Amino acid sequence: MHRILKVAQREYIETAKTKTFIIGLLMTPVIIGVIIFFTKAISGGKAGPRPDIVVGVTDLSKTLAEDIKTSFDDYNKRNPNSQFLLQRLDVQQDANSTEAKGKTKLRNGQFNAYVVLDEDILEGPGKIRFYTYKPKPANVDAFWTIENFFRKAVENRRYEIEKIDKKLLARLRNVPLERLEIGAAEGREQVQSQGQRIAGMMVPFFFMYLIFMGMVGTGQHMLSSIIEEKNSRIIEVLLSAVSPFQLMAGKILGLAGIGLTVMTLWSAAAYAAASWQGLNVGITPQLMVYFVIYYILGYLLFSAILTGIGSVCNTIKETQSLMMPVMLIFVIPMIGWFKLVQSPDGTLARALSFVPPVTPMVMILRLAAGSDVSLFEIFATVVVLAIAVLVVIWTAAKIFRTGILMYGKRPGPLEILRWLRQS
Amino acid sequence: MNAATLENVCKSFGQVHAVDNLSVQVPAGSVYGFLGPNGAGKTTTIRMIMNIIRPDSGRIEIFQDGQIERVKNRIGYMPEERGLYRKMTVRKVLAYFGAIKGLDTKELAHRVPYWLEQVDLAGWADKRVEELSRGMHQKLQFAVTVINNPELVILDEPFSGLDPLNQDLLKNIILEMRNEGKTVIFSTHVMHEAEKLCDFILLINKGKSILDGRLDEIRSRQSAHTVSVELDGDAGFVERLPMVRAVKSEGKRLDVTLTDADTQQFLQALMQRARVRAFEVKVPSLHEIFVNLVGASDAQDS
Repeated sequence: MHRILKVAQREYIETAKTKTFIIGLLMTPVIIGVIIFFTKAISGGKAGPRPDIVVGVTDLSKTLAEDIKTSFDDYNKRNPNSQFLLQRLDVQQDANSTEAKGKTKLRNGQFNAYVVLDEDILEGPGKIRFYTYKPKPANVDAFWTIENFFRKAVENRRYEIEKIDKKLLARLRNVPLERLEIGAAEGREQVQSQGQRIAGMMVPFFFMYLIFMGMVGTGQHMLSSIIEEKNSRIIEVLLSAVSPFQLMAGKILGLAGIGLTVMTLWSAAAYAAASWQGLNVGITPQLMVYFVIYYILGYLLFSAILTGIGSVCNTIKETQSLMMPVMLIFVIPMIGWFKLVQSPDGTLARALSFVPPVTPMVMILRLAAGSDVSLFEIFATVVVLAIAVLVVIWTAAKIFRTGILMYGKRPGPLEILRWLRQS
Repeated sequence: MNAATLENVCKSFGQVHAVDNLSVQVPAGSVYGFLGPNGAGKTTTIRMIMNIIRPDSGRIEIFQDGQIERVKNRIGYMPEERGLYRKMTVRKVLAYFGAIKGLDTKELAHRVPYWLEQVDLAGWADKRVEELSRGMHQKLQFAVTVINNPELVILDEPFSGLDPLNQDLLKNIILEMRNEGKTVIFSTHVMHEAEKLCDFILLINKGKSILDGRLDEIRSRQSAHTVSVELDGDAGFVERLPMVRAVKSEGKRLDVTLTDADTQQFLQALMQRARVRAFEVKVPSLHEIFVNLVGASDAQDS
């Protein structure tokens, strides 16, 4: 045990000193912070300058043109940098030929958008037809605004026709709602902002992401450490002092320390950020306990797989091809997290909870999403996961013992199977 | 007592018999040289002793224990392929390997500086391993091997890559260790190194032992048959002596190969017939023994 700890200690210190580790540790929160900051800054501010957008209009109802022009003018006054230019294309002979002409202008690029209002738009089943031709992604937002001008114009005119008081309607439709989160004690209640609700959604994801990073983030260090020992032939000297299993155990333990360091620092940073923003994230002590249990088991599983992979490869490049299928499995919850959060007790979530590689991530997602996972289910998943961990460690240890001393050609699957059968 | 015992050890890699039915006994307190040409099976044998690879059949005991894992603390092993953590400092590497070989902090505190001094690396203690030259790297590797004061030291090609000064430094340390009662096994294909150091040698070729025993016995056994003489007067009678098998003359000097007869009888026979100006029982160098025997065993095989 003393030796395992010594190996672990070296692994931890030497990894923590590498540039990759320090940069990864600091950059991830910084990048997330920068993204959040800029998203806020951009969405809060006014749109930047944009070329004028020319909108052709054919108003078959012949009643709305003025209203629309007013709303366009209002907009242009407020946004001198991004003008919407309205061009009327009135019916000359018949509606169809006019519309065809409008479409041609759209194709020619004279119009950026072409709108046709049906004759019976106000009282019948008519439509607003909004034509575009190869719209630029940059204009999509503007088109949305323009569409709204037309709809508002039609809507307002309809109120007038039906003699509905707009102010009355607005008053009737306004039902104030305040979302309050009651704190543990009286008087601690606080208004739940929109951010709070989003945070509520993000907490499960954050926890899952932490587990993911805690496992996968250490993977690169594990592989490079094994490859270094293999390539520089340190391995024989090491094996004259420790057994292969002690070496493997020490590595896994040392990098577990790295994973825990990263997670602790990131959680602390996230918690501090959330408190600073006045967000109340509901983390219970039970959740933390489950988190630790699932993380440790998940980490053991992942890192044991990596020791197996690392030991049979000679270069980092070789490991990548073997890592691909492994990573594909581990990113499943990352891809499907939204669906899993929405129905944490659904069949998919339940089934994935029993697939050992993703069990930790899925279970933490479900638990943090506030699903009523029964104690039995927690117990069962932990048992399944623990069994998987033992099987994988046993297998990995056998592969590690032989693979670590093999140089040259990477062994094929058949040869590895033979190692497993050896005592 | 034997420090290491190998009994009928075999190891094949595919079709190649790397080690073929090898038996050796390494007495405690001796310096044992494993000699042989490249690819003879020296490294494979050493790796099997260290339990890095397992023999296909046969038995290996270290300190009369078949479980090498149990006695690892008492062994120091320097593999043929050297390697140390490149990014760590010299001092830390030495301390780390000392620690995983079971030394506690207190022992490390005096052993690390002691060994750095012994191998002339004290001035480099805080440099990174990657900054060392090849020879210095090798000396550090040796210090790593012996940091835990092992009773049995196994060195695979310890002299390769060292300049003559450092080779002497290493030889002196090895001899010192023998004087302290430690056992040293080392492999080499450079014979004059073995000649100066070994008490025992094992000569292997193509995985088979072709010579094994005390170096001085081997040499006297091999030497008994060749004598170099210089006589006054006609030496034609020498060829006709009953105990003489062949004579090769180089000017006045004759190289005489004897049958099993004693050299002293031969000297007597000469003295009766002529004046003996020079008489030398030729002690073949290990190099000659090596070349002869390996050549003979290769010839036998083909």
